[in-house]
Order: sequence, then C-alpha cells, then structure tokens
Amino acid sequence: MCLAIPAEVTKLLPDDMAVVWIDGVSKEISVALIENLAVGDYVIIHVGYALTKIDPEEAQRTLELLREIGAESREAAQ
Amino acid sequence: MSLAFRNEIDITVWLAGGTIADVAIRPRSRPPLTRLFAGKPASSLPSVLPRLFSLCSMAHQVAFLSAVEAARGEDASLEIEHGRVVAVVAERLTELLRGLFVGRLTLDGAGAAAVRAMMEATAVLGGSIAERGEAVSRREAVAKIRASLAALGIASEEQTPGAGSALAVHLANFDGDALLPPVVEQSFLSAADDLEIVMRLLADGAIFSDAPDLHGRIPETGVWARRVGREPILPPGAGPAERLKARIAEVARLCAFLEADDGTVEDGVLQSYRVGTGRGAGAVECARGRLYHAVELDDEDRIVRFEFLAPTEWNFHARGPLVRSLQGSVLAGGRQGLDAVRTLVGSFDPCVGFSLSFREIGHA
Repeated sequence: MCLAIPAEVTKLLPDDMAVVWIDGVSKEISVALIENLAVGDYVIIHVGYALTKIDPEEAQRTLELLREIGAESREAAQ
Repeated sequence: MSLAFRNEIDITVWLAGGTIADVAIRPRSRPPLTRLFAGKPASSLPSVLPRLFSLCSMAHQVAFLSAVEAARGEDASLEIEHGRVVAVVAERLTELLRGLFVGRLTLDGAGAAAVRAMMEATAVLGGSIAERGEAVSRREAVAKIRASLAALGIASEEQTPGAGSALAVHLANFDGDALLPPVVEQSFLSAADDLEIVMRLLADGAIFSDAPDLHGRIPETGVWARRVGREPILPPGAGPAERLKARIAEVARLCAFLEADDGTVEDGVLQSYRVGTGRGAGAVECARGRLYHAVELDDEDRIVRFEFLAPTEWNFHARGPLVRSLQGSVLAGGRQGLDAVRTLVGSFDPCVGFSLSFREIGHA
C-alpha cells in the first residue's frame, strides 16, 4: 500500500516543477499532472510527482489521521 | 509532524560481475490499521480509506465495503456491484498507465496532458461506486480515455506501442539482452486462493500479512499473473520489455471493457466471503494485484477486527517473485543493465515507491 501524505506547495518553478513542504522537509517535485496550481495548495505526491490536489481541510484531516497512525505505531512498538 | 513509518521499499542488488548474485528487500512499515480501526463504526471508515491510500483508493473502499456487507450477511445489488467493478477497472487502468510514465519516463507537455485527461476521465467513472451517474458523462469519460491512450501510442491489445512514441522508445531499451532472467518455476495468485488467504488473515493477522505464504508458496500477483490467467503459456525468462508490453496490453483491454460496458473483464475482479457470524472479507483485483480486506463486526456494527493484505507483500516478499526473477539474472554492461533492473522492479508494481541500490560482491 502507498500512504497518501499531503504536501503544501511553497514555490512554483519553471517547467512544471514546484517546491513542496512535506513532513518537515522541502522537496522539489513535478506538477505536470496538475493544472492551475498555486502556492498554498495541498497535493498528494507519489515518486516525485504531484498526483492530485486536495483542499486544505481535507489535507488537515489526513495529517491528523497520519499523526494518529504514528502514535499507534509507536505504542505498538513498545 | 514526523512520520513514524517508512513509505518506501529498499532494494539492494548484489552483483558478481554481470550477474545478480543476491537481492535484499527491506519492506515498508505497514500502518497499524487493526489498532486504529478497532471499536469504530464500520460505516465511518469508507471515507477514511481514501485519506490513507492515495493509490488504489477505490480498490480499498470496494474491498472494505464488500467485507462489511459479507460480515452483515448482506448482498450488494447487481447494479451496485457492476458500478464497483467499473470503478475498480477505471482506477486500475489509470494506475497501470500512469505507472508507465511517472518516475520512469520524462513526460513532455502533450504526454502530461494525455495522462492528466485520463486521470480526470477515470475519476468520473470512479463516481460510479456510489451511483452509476449519467450515461452520457460515462460515455464521454470513456471516449476521453480512448483518446488519451491513442495520444500516448496505445491503440490496441497488440502490446506494441505506436512507432516513435515515448513508450516505444522506452521499450526498445530493454529488448534483447539488457537483462536475461533465469528460468525459474513461477507461481501465481488467483481467486482460487482467496478463501485460504482470508482464513489465514483472520487467524494469524499481521504475522501472516507482513510476509505471507501459502504452505511455502509465495505467488506473484498483478499484471503478469492476470496474463497467465488469460494466456497460460508464458515466454520463458521474460524480462522487463515483455512485462511492460503485458501491462500495455492490459491497459488497452481494460479500455475496451469500459467501452463495451456490458461484458466481464475477468473472473474474480471483485469477490466477497462470509466466514462466520459477523465476519466477512473482500478481495479486489487492483493494478498491483489482489488486495484483501477482512473484518469482524460486533452486534452494533463496530469493528472488532480489521485485517488487510496488499499485493505488494507477495511480490516484494524477501523470497518472493521479484527476488526469484532477479537472482541469477545476467545484465548487459553499464547503464543499460542497471536501468533494466529498475524497470523490472517497477514492472511488478505500478504504484510502489522504492529505492534501488547496487553493490558489487567483494566491495561491501
């Protein structure tokens, strides 16, 4: 399975590239598969490509879910 | 937020001269969904699944809904079931096609536009999981998919993309002796294995699903296994080019199925199993292979138990199909051989993120 981790677009670059902020890390990705992207949008990334745009509320709900999974993982490991 | 799980598979290939001597696979973390879902109302989870799974999200939803309905002793209507099959097939087509390009080939403007148009069109068909939608919009969506495939050089099930297309050029890199795999006995997962897998999932949970096997057998699942279901005789020692051609042929075949909208795509695309009071399972044939969800519900429709098994756990098992295909393979020299390995790994799964490194034996 591939988990859906939202990333926030922080900078648009030439040639359908962009910089995103994901899990505390800045990363350069391709946005060739998404139209009309703006700084502040959230996207789902896979192998260096933004695949879909999601609204900020949905992104926050997803991030909360991932935090919950992270907490469960740590608890399970103890 | 710091993620507490790894979302990528690490693959190390050990070379002895031009031959692959060994392969080591470090799996991803599997999210502890059993713990996370326990006690929650079953009806609250279908909306959660797409948040968790960016790829194959439709397949996950359908597998879950099928498992829950089976646990309740309910049957979906034929119309709902057909809508689910269409949604799963549309998603499978998208991911098989997208996986040919994303992370593998540089998409030019026209190629990116074609993939984008297809993703939008299959999203329309994905809406049929809830309701079938307007027939006109479905027909338009399928016509857009057909046009997108044509723009990318895929016109029929003949496995050979149009001459001069980016796909044809890509495939040409792997024809010949870029990677000569060993001739090994192959084993393939099918719907006939479902019930045993479901019972093992419910009996052994993560002990089974983290590294599954069927009495020592670790079968392959996905495009190549589905091809065997249709054409049992495979070319011996098939390498990356043959596997990619099989994927292209499947993409064309799925498009033809969506156009016809009244046939069957293959046996076992979607199966459900009631396995005791309050216990059920769903199996879905998604892009990567066979996906399983199994649930146990209490009298108030809350999740007592949730287990799932992704196709990746078979294909990327430490002793599984990928490792068997790579070990003993003879590579062409230089970049060509290494690229062929990367393409072969990608051919096992259009969605998985992986890192690949090469080590020469004696230089550890």
